[in-house]
Amino acid sequence: MSEQVSTGLGAGLSAALLDGERWRRNRALAVRWALALLGGLIVFGAFVLANGASPLDVYTDIWTGTLTQPSQVQQILVRAAPLVLAGLAVVIPARAGMVNVGGEGQLIIGAVAAAGVAQALTTAPTGLLVIAMPVAAAAAGAAWAGIAALMRVVVNVNEAVTTLLLNYVALYVMLFLILGPWKDPAALGQSTSVGLADGAKLPLLAGTAVHVGVLVSLGAAIVVWFALSRTSWGFRLSVVGGNAEAARRTGMPVVVVLLTALLIGGALAGLAGFVQYAGSEYKLRPTFGLSLGYVAFLASWLARHRPVPLLLASLALAAIAVSGNSLQIGSGLPAASVNVLMGLILVAVLGWTGARKAAQS
Amino acid sequence: MIVEILSGAVRGGTSILYAGLGESVSERSGVINLGTEGAMLVGALGGYAVTAQTGNPWIGVLGGAAAGALLSLVHAVLVVSRGANQFASGLTLFFLALGLTSLFGTGYVSRQINAFTPVKVPVLGDLPVVGPVLFQHDPLVYVAFVAAPLVWWVLFRTRAGLLLRTAGERSDALVVHGYSVTRVRYVATVVGGALAGVGGAHLSIAYANSWFEGMVAGRGFIAVALVIFGMWNPITIAGGAYLFGAALSLASVLQAGGVAVNQFALDVVPFVLTLVVLAVLGKRTLLAAPDELLKVLDNSTSR
Repeated sequence: MSEQVSTGLGAGLSAALLDGERWRRNRALAVRWALALLGGLIVFGAFVLANGASPLDVYTDIWTGTLTQPSQVQQILVRAAPLVLAGLAVVIPARAGMVNVGGEGQLIIGAVAAAGVAQALTTAPTGLLVIAMPVAAAAAGAAWAGIAALMRVVVNVNEAVTTLLLNYVALYVMLFLILGPWKDPAALGQSTSVGLADGAKLPLLAGTAVHVGVLVSLGAAIVVWFALSRTSWGFRLSVVGGNAEAARRTGMPVVVVLLTALLIGGALAGLAGFVQYAGSEYKLRPTFGLSLGYVAFLASWLARHRPVPLLLASLALAAIAVSGNSLQIGSGLPAASVNVLMGLILVAVLGWTGARKAAQS
Repeated sequence: MIVEILSGAVRGGTSILYAGLGESVSERSGVINLGTEGAMLVGALGGYAVTAQTGNPWIGVLGGAAAGALLSLVHAVLVVSRGANQFASGLTLFFLALGLTSLFGTGYVSRQINAFTPVKVPVLGDLPVVGPVLFQHDPLVYVAFVAAPLVWWVLFRTRAGLLLRTAGERSDALVVHGYSVTRVRYVATVVGGALAGVGGAHLSIAYANSWFEGMVAGRGFIAVALVIFGMWNPITIAGGAYLFGAALSLASVLQAGGVAVNQFALDVVPFVLTLVVLAVLGKRTLLAAPDELLKVLDNSTSR
């Protein structure tokens, strides 16, 4: 596993070999990753042991059952696609100094909007549907984040608190719909919405199980990287994020910057919901997109809110998430136990790898 | 029906009340802990597991408190000693708790325990209306009646409370007088986590009498919001917690009464209510926020 990560990092390193300062930063990032991963693996192994399973078996399972299987590697790519998009939804507001913890809800609302469009336009040409679904998903995600953005700008309530609460509202809205008006009468057992028509599903790349959403998210990461580092908009974001008061005094429209950052973030998370819906799950179910938004939040913090490292972080976390399934089959541990591993890695990264601020702040 | 809703409000609000008290202790010292949701989760499982092993729910409460305290200790290490972003750390711990409780909780799903049972208070419990609403509950509900004023008293009438609030208002003043801000914030965060753990334990060993994954279902996040519009005052927070308890109990009371409502339309009520109250009162109540906490809330940025 560490080999894979380090080859991935190698690619990231050579791409960013522009000047020495940057190289040093990337090398520090690589060391951070290795140590955090190692620490996480060790502590997770201890938890597994405490639970009566053998850590060695678990890691063998992950290796043989996931990381060395071509079909599983494709699964990892598919899992990473919405993670990257929802991760960018954390990256952009973070540049402006905001914490968007609402990826989970924005993603679900995006998928709900896409599903709503799909149900409303069953007779429309698929071409229209293919355009209308992502647009609706992005708009819904932006609107959902917009509620938190407005509360931040107008009544100054912190967006971390409101976006978290909105996650639950979004979840219950979806559950309400799939157990009520949108319920598929043909669904057996678990309630779901009606499945998406084949023509509206995201097409697969030739000869693989990987859908074009992977390319969409890669493209989005590149666009966001360019916008953040090469445009005046990106510059304004980081000025506001660095010192909002100073930005205000130089006459910068701080409120507009904060609003747009959260709205664009929400739109990207909504798009992530569309990719998950039209690319992987094809219907809404009670567990739709489960914890993708939270994992994306971890990915963004692992990547220190930078788009290119975010790609790597998303791949790594997607690999851990996918291996959760083989864990369930192999060792009988619940699939969600890999959340422990992700959490531990981020604890290590947050605590022991950051540019330390003053401890008293 | 009104009596049922009010009685359910007190019962359902108790877990949020404990979590809100814990969060107010921690925030008064300048540390916001989104991991309260996680502390409640591990508290719920810890309380349940210890009760199952020992057969004594009171020891279970201690187990829940210990689990919540341990998780919050990690938060204290990250944000106080290591200067990590408070929101990121809190959310990470919530996520960690989701995984931990899933990993260790499988053996306790559908296991029977010797849970708390309602105890009617003599004389008071026989009063009309007031009796069933306030005095026919499990013991943890009564403990909460005492805990809220007690936390208020400690915060505002004792030396320890003064130190804690100074850490949240003007931490440099503590340093000048030779106290350690770090130590005060550690204690406040860990005590806050222990209280949240008791709240979680109330859910599993007194309210639902069972353990299932994700059973806290956002109550910890509601508690964080509650502390903001409860203006960091334990008494107001207690009132708010019972208000949310009412919103929570509405669902079960309506369903028991045979009213056909989609359950999720009712589940969403406490969250919408929280958001609306924040939108209406947020600006005003934030004036009461501890200064050091305002810095965290205003400029949440960190890389």
